[in-house]
Amino acid sequence: MDVTVTVNGTAYERDVEPRKLLIHFLRDDLDLTGSHIGCDTGNCGACSVIVDGVLVKSCMLLAVQADGASVETVEGLSEDGELTRLQQAFNEHHALQCGYCTPGMLMSATALLREQPSPSDDEIKKALQGNICRCTGYWNIFEAVKSVAK
Amino acid sequence: MTRASETTLAPAPVEVQKGWGGQSVRRKEDKRLLQGEGVFVDDVKRHGMGYLHFVRSPYAHAHISRVDVSAAEAIDGVYGTLTGEEVAALTDPFFQISSAPGANIKDFSLAVGKVRYVGEPVVAVVAETRELARDASELVEVDYEPLPALVDARRAQDSDAPVLHDDADGNLMWTGLYSWGDFDAALAEADRVVKIPELHFHRFNSTPLECDGALVEFNRGVGQWTIHTNNQFPGFAAIMMGPAMKVGLDKLRFVTQDIGGGFGNKITSHPQLVVCCLLARKLNRPVQWTEWRTDFHLSMSHGNERWFHDTEVAVKDDGTLLGFRTKALDDAGAWLRYEPLGGVIWAQVTPGMYRWRHIELDFTQVATNKAPVSPNRGYSRMQHLWFTERVMDIVAHELDIDPVEVRKRNYIRAEDMPYETPNGCVYDSGDYAAMLDLALELIDYGSMAAKRAEAEARGKRLGVGIGSTLDSGTNNFGQSRLINPELQFSGNNEVATVKLDIFGEIVVTLGTTPQGQGHETTAAQVVADILSCSPDDVHVRAGHDSYWNSHAGFSGTYASQFAVTGLSAVKGATEMLAAEIKKLAGAVFGGVPAESLELADGGVRIKESPDAFLPFMACGAIINANNAGLPEDLDVTLNCRYVYRPPFEVPDVERKFGNLTLTYAAQIHVAVVEVDPETGAYEIVDYAAVDDCGKRINPQIVEGQVMGATAQALGAAVHETYEYDEDGNLLTPNFYDYHVPHALDMPPLATGAIESPSPFTPLGTKGMGEGGGAGIHAICAAIQDATGQVVTDSHNPYQRVWRLLQEAKA
Amino acid sequence: MLLREVEYAKPGSVAQALELLASNDGARALAGGQTLINVMKARAASPDMLVDLNGLEELGGIELAGDGTLTIGAMTTYTELVQSAEAKARPILGEVCATIADVQVRNRGTIGGNVCSNDPTNHLPPLMVAVGARMTIAGANGEREVPAEQFFLGVYLTAVGQGELLTRISIPAGKKDGFAAVTLGAEGTCICNAAASVNGAVRIALGCVDAVPVLVTADSAGGVADAVRAANLMPPSDVHASSEYRTHLAAVLATRAAEEAAAR
Repeated sequence: MDVTVTVNGTAYERDVEPRKLLIHFLRDDLDLTGSHIGCDTGNCGACSVIVDGVLVKSCMLLAVQADGASVETVEGLSEDGELTRLQQAFNEHHALQCGYCTPGMLMSATALLREQPSPSDDEIKKALQGNICRCTGYWNIFEAVKSVAK
Repeated sequence: MTRASETTLAPAPVEVQKGWGGQSVRRKEDKRLLQGEGVFVDDVKRHGMGYLHFVRSPYAHAHISRVDVSAAEAIDGVYGTLTGEEVAALTDPFFQISSAPGANIKDFSLAVGKVRYVGEPVVAVVAETRELARDASELVEVDYEPLPALVDARRAQDSDAPVLHDDADGNLMWTGLYSWGDFDAALAEADRVVKIPELHFHRFNSTPLECDGALVEFNRGVGQWTIHTNNQFPGFAAIMMGPAMKVGLDKLRFVTQDIGGGFGNKITSHPQLVVCCLLARKLNRPVQWTEWRTDFHLSMSHGNERWFHDTEVAVKDDGTLLGFRTKALDDAGAWLRYEPLGGVIWAQVTPGMYRWRHIELDFTQVATNKAPVSPNRGYSRMQHLWFTERVMDIVAHELDIDPVEVRKRNYIRAEDMPYETPNGCVYDSGDYAAMLDLALELIDYGSMAAKRAEAEARGKRLGVGIGSTLDSGTNNFGQSRLINPELQFSGNNEVATVKLDIFGEIVVTLGTTPQGQGHETTAAQVVADILSCSPDDVHVRAGHDSYWNSHAGFSGTYASQFAVTGLSAVKGATEMLAAEIKKLAGAVFGGVPAESLELADGGVRIKESPDAFLPFMACGAIINANNAGLPEDLDVTLNCRYVYRPPFEVPDVERKFGNLTLTYAAQIHVAVVEVDPETGAYEIVDYAAVDDCGKRINPQIVEGQVMGATAQALGAAVHETYEYDEDGNLLTPNFYDYHVPHALDMPPLATGAIESPSPFTPLGTKGMGEGGGAGIHAICAAIQDATGQVVTDSHNPYQRVWRLLQEAKA
Repeated sequence: MLLREVEYAKPGSVAQALELLASNDGARALAGGQTLINVMKARAASPDMLVDLNGLEELGGIELAGDGTLTIGAMTTYTELVQSAEAKARPILGEVCATIADVQVRNRGTIGGNVCSNDPTNHLPPLMVAVGARMTIAGANGEREVPAEQFFLGVYLTAVGQGELLTRISIPAGKKDGFAAVTLGAEGTCICNAAASVNGAVRIALGCVDAVPVLVTADSAGGVADAVRAANLMPPSDVHASSEYRTHLAAVLATRAAEEAAAR
């Protein structure tokens, strides 16, 4: 099927099988390998992206369902290769170790802060609940997000 | 979520060093990772590559009577397949670490003749797309004749037990008796003997978020494979793969860059890598393999499951423990891939943190129809240390002594350090009592009575538990001879190169394979201190590449050693470079001796007249491109390679005696749990963790390791388990049923640190990263406190706690 | 992790969707996909065609009638329900939905998908039974209404037949509701759950203990535990809970849900 998916502002026209997951479309068809795969049951959140302004796990969306949609991935967060405030906060608070969950965490945090620039502690934790990390234990990630909240 | 961290320096005065070591320098690795520009193995692509999917066994134990790949191969877009029969023809079985009987098992990279665990790879299919490989694998026909499955290690040596490996003539893989001191004498001296019939440490692992994977290319012309992978111990993989594939190790080039977590679980992917290599050669195209989460759970690197039977503890009435005797039964799963080293690795911490001297441990390892066991964070020490902590708490329970008191009475003391254990290991430094005090302070232990009462008023039960643990680091591989005296391994090593490039750039290569531990950053800190520059001036190459020739037999990242082996190699190479820079400058300045020179401000200058200054760029340019006129005997390349070798002897195999690890970091954790007595459900409501890993090069990175390991331990203690049904089916084969903690599951955490430098390492550092197992010990202790019942299993889901409460009522 | 080949259709109306579902035996409705896509990844089920219901306005929306009846479109996402002002008329709905899975799942997963998949550990089937919801099913022959207690027929099986669609759920007015669960991790998959509604007597629906929610009634919260015991539950054993433990939890959670309901 022919689809047109806009990712980080660029429109891509591709022919894809209906069964292709959005995460594989991003990684394999568009070479946007920043979003990752960490599980096969929709639990880990490493594939989290924002579709038409909504945070989703791209492993549970078909690429054909993103036809006509606007997708944001980690690659689109910073401009001109400079780290955003949120990314800098992750660096300052040592909120990443292996970095594999990090793109998903950043998208979840971005979605939260857009909707709620001044989240409570509980709101931050709930916003990150769908992203598994095995390295950090989440404490530093929480601190990083909290530090950029208003 | 975190209260303030506190750092207390060790009681003895420590020379405070100026410079980058000891500072929480921000990580160099982060920029690329934060922007999604990291290169993980599945990110690597090659034109024309084929995607590999494994056909895996649905049975725990079965004969393979027929394999037919013709239907799969007939599909357009399927590039080819590989079967066990081909593997048996093309390769030799993997080298076995064990002595007989384990030595006799024949381990190939695909099942040959028989399958021995659910998920075992049987056939590999390679196709044009991932989906096609997956589809085609369903057309591969395999006929199985199921056999009874063995899932309980305690039944493995029964006369009617199903036998996994006919070559081994039974399920016993290895056994050995360890005995030091005189336990019978200790029994005689004891006031009482505490008996513990059965303790069980459960099966789980660290489920790194990125699963295993590889992209393998074969260069036909020179017969050389390039293996892009996330294997975290290429030294070991090469030693296993080369002989099996009947090629020299130089034909196997390992390339890693970013690895999404390892925790030991990415050490034994060599069978799958061999399959990729064979197919890359057979199909004459690059072959890409990504392990799915379910595959990982079914087949990769479960942690040792261990029983401790018929434990006897010789005890004095005042709570002094004289010694213990136990029978350890280790469930190795279907294959020995890094095992049976687990049978000796525990001996690095034989007495745990305690002063008892009379110890007897009868270790038996058996095979079962479950996933192969191989290192998991805390490898084999965690199981043993959990055992020692259980003993402490059970003795405290039986004698009705405060667990804090029992520990303090029995801890090895700071003034005893360096301390030689009953089996000749040397604990380098540490003050466990001080760590415990700090942990109790962080948890506000004094307020526990009031907190208990408050919880009681709400109908809940509070429990407090201590978990103390050692993180032994930098192995002496000579301990493998205690498993098999014929092995030719001993000592350890790691390599680093540091060079000044033609434009004066400082370039470092490591032999390690970091999976988030910040090696690029901490290495740069060490280099910067020696060359008197900034870490920003030091470029550390990401990852590992055999072509850099920056590795040796034991290269990789595992076993809590980078801060010792890796950083000592970096230190050594940088000191060589510094000496060469001075030699070169001395010559350029017309014969100035090295003592009169110093490195500063990105160059080298004469101390007494600093205007005589040669920037690094000039040094690099001279040696590389402008070297006419230099003295003939000037022995300078500015490209320095250093192999760090820790000081070890080969252990005494007869007495099973000798120093098995160089450093001993420690962690002490305290957990507070609140139990709902009606349901057995519980919450971890408060938590403190104190760490001592000697000199910390980057305290923030160290703390990150403590936090991460703690979170994993909490997950393992409460939810994570690899449990099998009686037919050998794994009941937790993915993240849906194997619950890994998330942000809402985390307790508030206070961390503290003490630095007891190691007298045995060049930087005073100790390796660390595996000590978080203390969380399991602490949770078990807390549940025992809350329920008043002895806890005998490392895994305590709500159901088990409820049962303990029922027992308490009975 | 990789789906089998499947056809994909995006109907522009419910009528079109019904036609596609009726004329293709192997066709299945795709709602939020937070369950179905995972089922297809595991290849536990592989429909021939996915009929994507996303974007069908007829299946969305939440209306609050004058008499307090809430009508919720089947394709309402958990997030929409949590954020809906109308849904606050029956607070338990948003409260429970806010604890299902995580943000990402709540943004796509739907109320209709949750009840139609009828996984025994789901939150909404017992909740719908407890509050006395009525399910509207559309098919070739028009619409029919099925009370929740007759809607759930077996594991993964509901009264929605081939060629039919759940279009909306009607929930009567009420506020005295409760929900209690023991979950795998905070706000995780339910090991056992119970929903309660008080309207004079206590109405309890137990989840996780049978193929479908088990309905139990009692005169008061105090009598709930006995009523649950009298139901002679024989829940399945699995890696998270033995049958005995689940049975015990059912009585405890039912009582707690009832007490919560009574206290509102």
